[in-house]
Parts: sequence; C-alpha cells; structure tokens
Amino acid sequence: MFLTVNDENYEHHGDGTVAALLTELGATPEHTALTVNGELVFSKDWKVFKFNGGDTVEVLTFVGGG
Amino acid sequence: MQTLPDWLNPEPWLNRTFSASEVRQALGAESPDETTLAALLSPAAADFLEPMAARAQALTRRHFGRTVQLYIPLYLSSWCSGGCAYCGFAADRQTDRHALALAAVEKEIDAIKAMGFEEILLLTGERCAQADLDYLRECVHLAAQKIHNVAIEVFPMAEAEYRSLAETGGTGVTLYQETYHQETYDRMHRWGPKKDFFQRLDAPTRALAGGFRFAGLGALLGLADPRYDMLALYRHVRHLQKTFWRAGLTVSFPRIRHEAGGFIPPHPVDEKMLSQIIFAFRICLPDVPLVLSTREGAAFRDGMAGLGINKMSIASKTTVGGYSDKGSEEGQFDISDDRGLDEFCAMLRGKKLEPVFKNWDGVYRLTA
Amino acid sequence: MKDEQTSLKLGGHEFKSRLILGTGKFSDIETMVRAIEASGTELVTVALRRFNRDKPSDDLCAPLAKLKNVKLMPNTSGAMNSKEAVRAAQLGRELSGSPFVKVEIHPNPHHLMPDAIETYLAAKELAADGFIVLPYIPADPVLAKKLEDVGCAAVMPLGAAIGSGGGLSTADMIQLIIRDSNIPVIVDAGLRAPSEAARAMEMGCAAVLVNSAIAAAKNPVAMARAFALGVETGYAARQAGLMPKSAVAVATSPLTSFLK
Ligand code: SF4
Repeated sequence: MFLTVNDENYEHHGDGTVAALLTELGATPEHTALTVNGELVFSKDWKVFKFNGGDTVEVLTFVGGG
Repeated sequence: MQTLPDWLNPEPWLNRTFSASEVRQALGAESPDETTLAALLSPAAADFLEPMAARAQALTRRHFGRTVQLYIPLYLSSWCSGGCAYCGFAADRQTDRHALALAAVEKEIDAIKAMGFEEILLLTGERCAQADLDYLRECVHLAAQKIHNVAIEVFPMAEAEYRSLAETGGTGVTLYQETYHQETYDRMHRWGPKKDFFQRLDAPTRALAGGFRFAGLGALLGLADPRYDMLALYRHVRHLQKTFWRAGLTVSFPRIRHEAGGFIPPHPVDEKMLSQIIFAFRICLPDVPLVLSTREGAAFRDGMAGLGINKMSIASKTTVGGYSDKGSEEGQFDISDDRGLDEFCAMLRGKKLEPVFKNWDGVYRLTA
Repeated sequence: MKDEQTSLKLGGHEFKSRLILGTGKFSDIETMVRAIEASGTELVTVALRRFNRDKPSDDLCAPLAKLKNVKLMPNTSGAMNSKEAVRAAQLGRELSGSPFVKVEIHPNPHHLMPDAIETYLAAKELAADGFIVLPYIPADPVLAKKLEDVGCAAVMPLGAAIGSGGGLSTADMIQLIIRDSNIPVIVDAGLRAPSEAARAMEMGCAAVLVNSAIAAAKNPVAMARAFALGVETGYAARQAGLMPKSAVAVATSPLTSFLK
C-alpha cells in the first residue's frame, strides 16, 4: 500500500496496522505519536486502526528543545 | 467576630520597632512591600519627614508629571438611615434634611460644568427612601450626559446594582472602609446595614466586578490606630490591584477634625502624622493617585500638592444644593479650604503644577 | 508578603528545584543527560519532531525516561499559530503523558520573538482542556495578567531574545509582571550567565528556564551546576531580603516647612 510518511512517498508492505508500519520504520511505539491526514490517532486506538492507501502519515517523536 | 482574611490582616507588621537605618533603607526600597510601609509609618520615620517628602515628590513627578487632577463633590441628599458616631448626617442628629429634586440636580450639574469640572463625585448617605437606587441612577444618568467622569460615594450595593449604575454612565466608586479595625468599626457604626463590616469591605470588589473602572479607597483617620488602618488599607489596595488589574485605584486620606455633632476622634492624627502617612503611601504605591479633599486647610493642601498628592477636590460644598443656591445649613463635615476654583488654580500654577480637569474621556464609554 | 514556600508549585505539582532546563542544542545526548543530572532540575522541555529513520538514535524518550525525578514539558515550537500549537500540545501530551506544556509560538524564524496574540489563544484553549500551561511570552505585564485570567499555571516572559545571551534586558517589565502576578513568573530565554539567573531570582522570579547558556557553554555539565547554584543563591537572597539602595536625597530648600 502506498502512503505518504513524513512528506515522503512510502510503500508499506505490511498489513496496514500501526504496529506493522512502526516496525518497518524502526520506531519504538512507546516513543512515537501519530497523525493521519492531520488527525491525531491516540495510541489507545492503535490496535484497531488501519491505514488506507494514500493516507498522509506523520510519525513524531521527541528531540531536544528549549 | 469573623477574623480578617489573610490578604488584609495587618497584624504581622504591627508591633515591630524600626531603627533609623531601617527607615533609611525603606526610603530606597526597590520593590516596596508591607515592611517598607510599616517602617515609613513608624515613630522612627517621623524624623525623616524631609527626605520622605523629597522622595514622594520625585516619585509623584515621575508618574504624574507636574499635574494635579481636580474633581468636585456634589451632595445629593442629607437623608440617612445610618448611625455613624462621627457623622453630622447620622439619623439621630438634628439637622435639616434635603434631597435634591432631579431638576435641581441638573441645575447643580450645569453650575459645576460651567465652572469647568469634568469629574464629579455624587454623594448620599445610607440607602433610604429619599435617596434610593432608582434616584441615584437618575442622577448618574443626568451627570453622565454632561460630565466625563461620574463617581459615586454612596451606600454599598449588590454587584447587579453596581452594574446598572455603570451601564448608566457611572465610572468610579469611592467607598471608605472608615476603619479596618473591626472592634472599633462595630462601636462606631451603631446600627443599620453599615454595621456589617464585610459587606462594606467587599463593596469595591462588587463595584469593579460590576463594571466600574475606578475605585477609591480610604480610612477615616482618627477612629482607630492609624498604623493599623493604613497597613490594612495598603493591603486592600494591593489585593485589588492584583485581582482587578484593569481597574484604576485611588487612595484618600480623610481626617476627622471637628465634625458637626461634636464627635471627638479617639486617635487624632496631626498634620505631621498625616503628611508622614501620605509620603509613605506615595513611596509604597508610586503609581496610585493619592487624593486630598477640602477637609484639610489651605496651607496644608498647598504644601502637599505635588508632594505625594496628585488629586484634589476644590470649591466643594458639603451642603445639599450648594452650587446653584447659597445654602447655609450644616454640612456633613466642615470645609477647611473654601477657596474658589480660580484662586486654587492660580496657587497650583504658582507652584508650577498644572490643574487637570479631565483625564478620561466619556466618549470611550460604550453604554451611556 | 515575602514568599515563604520553599518549593515551586505549578498546577498542583511541587518542585524542589527552581531551575528548568531546555534540552536543545546539546552536542550529544550523553552530555545533555549529565547536564540535567548536574543541574538538579526536575522539569525539562522537549520538542516534537518527525521521526528520522536514518537517525533513530536522535530519540530522546529513552534516555529521559531513565531520569526518574525529571518530568517532561513538551513545547510547541514549530507551531506558526494557535491551531498548530494546540495540536502540537495534544501530540506532546499523548507522547509524554505529561500535563505540562510550554506554549511557544514564534512565527519569525530569525529573531524568534513570541507571537503574543496566538500564544494567548492557544494558552486559553489548552488551559480549558486541562493542560498545565506555561506560555513563553514577551515581557508584557498586560499580557501576563490576561494569561493568568485564562488559567495559566505560570507565565514565562523572555529576558532577551532566544539564544541571544542578552541577559535580563527586560528587567523593568519583568519587575512589573512580578509585582501584580498571582502566579509564578519564570524568566525564559536570554540568560547567559548564572549571575543573571541569580538576579532574576532576587527580583522575585519563581524559577528560570535555561537552555542555550548551558548547552553552548564550553563545559555544559559544569555550567548546569553553576546555574543551579546561581538560582539557589538568588532565591536565598530574595528570601533574606536585599538591603535597599539608599535614596535619601537632600532637598535644596525644605519641602515640609508648611507643616504645623
Ligand atoms: S457616614 Fe454616611 S452612612 Fe454614616 S451617618 Fe454619615 S451619611 Fe450616614
């Protein structure tokens, strides 16, 4: 399935779950927040959530900041 | 007796003695607080009147320039249901009672306007049938048609009542707690609604919440230990400054001298003490207008103008209907400075002080 | 009255340390962690960024999670307006589980001055949504009172421009904010030296937030400790009560000769 992840075209080979995408990207789920098409997807909903082809996904984490 | 709330209680700063060097330090305080005021009100500070005056003058000039704001009181009614031991209008005093009819109010306002005033203070006694809220609302409305700043010094009321007056054009509420010392307060206010200390204490809060822009506070000097009252007054002002940060606050220093009715003040305050109090307030509240009325004599007022004091009444009559007629009956208190406006302004200008009649324009008022 | 409480209170949480640290601009994560430890801080700010597949080691969550006494305060930097800031705050809360948020909106990328209007709108919405809101603001006493009115837990006026090291160039305005504020006032941005942090505390600030001055010091860990000492010294001095400057002027002609 084709997604836009952090502004880049991205082909996802998994089953369209959050867990599958994050594993593919190498991100730690507990250290990650997600928006899909601009909407925040809460981690408590990740189990049931599925991506659709063409979704715009932002994968976010903390970095240093003042 | 309910105790004073923490934000008001002056006790922690009383009963402390200050040395001359502590007074000197208080004079230069960068962020003045209760301790600063207590030091400047202390007996030790009485030897520092001259440096206190110099500092007060410098701060007054810095914040207000070389100006003195002028206002005039208008006594609407001498009817009163109150029983204040110190007042010539108290219900048990023999005095001719009047309330101005609305037509007469208009005449008085015209006379005042013709003199050039743009700030008026409307006064009544306690709430009574002759001068109730409806009457007051009519008077505020009449005044607001012609005068920019319309303040009232009347009975305390509910927030909704204050709001109705603010919507009619009222801009300021002057309400002195008289004394913050509860036991004295209870003795001085012999009956009636004014007996309720906390109901009065909260009135400026209700007025500001109700839409008034300015609140004038004060305590009647002579009733209780002036240090107790002045520290509590300062704390009351600071509390309101923090809560109603949009409000303009002023502080007055009414001193009981020889009222009609022959009341003898238990804690008389002499001129030196009064000046010490005023200098101390200017140093601790550098940007709050400090007011001195015609209760005080000409020489004292001339000396204090610009020296801490930056707002004054003049040409006042404390009798009802004094501006368009020549009333002769007894007023609420005796006027000590009975000069006319021109003479007073000439005095101010002689001291290089500019009289200011208007510093807020009624055109900003959205409801009138 | 003098501030007698010894702990900093923010939205019902208490902190022994009055130094808040920013975690940006450190050369590496290890130095940052050691600086945090040396500073004794219990609250640090973090920023939200896109996950970088090529540099997963940038992730701050893991090292910060190991610091047991340190709470996180996500900021909203990068947001251009209140809408973006509110969303960034929600993401930050989701990620950190922390109720704290530093609202920071600076649309101009050069001077990074905060947008007072958007900051106010975002702070109002976030406070209503249950966040513990600490807005980074221009040193403006009116804005500070308005933010207090809408439920902010503190206000954080700038001492000087972010990263400028300009010190407490807004001292007079900060003094006015402190004078009439019922909530803690925290100087954020502009400090360069621990002595400036001490001065802010002497003026009556409840805490200071420092980032660049520590991260960009020659020895960040040692500087973190120096700032902790500066903050402690300034706070102790405030409690002790500074001797006022003498202002006894002598008038050329007597002012009080009219008194009877
Ligand atoms: S002070 Fe006021 S309330 Fe008291 S008796 Fe005089 S007019 Fe009435």
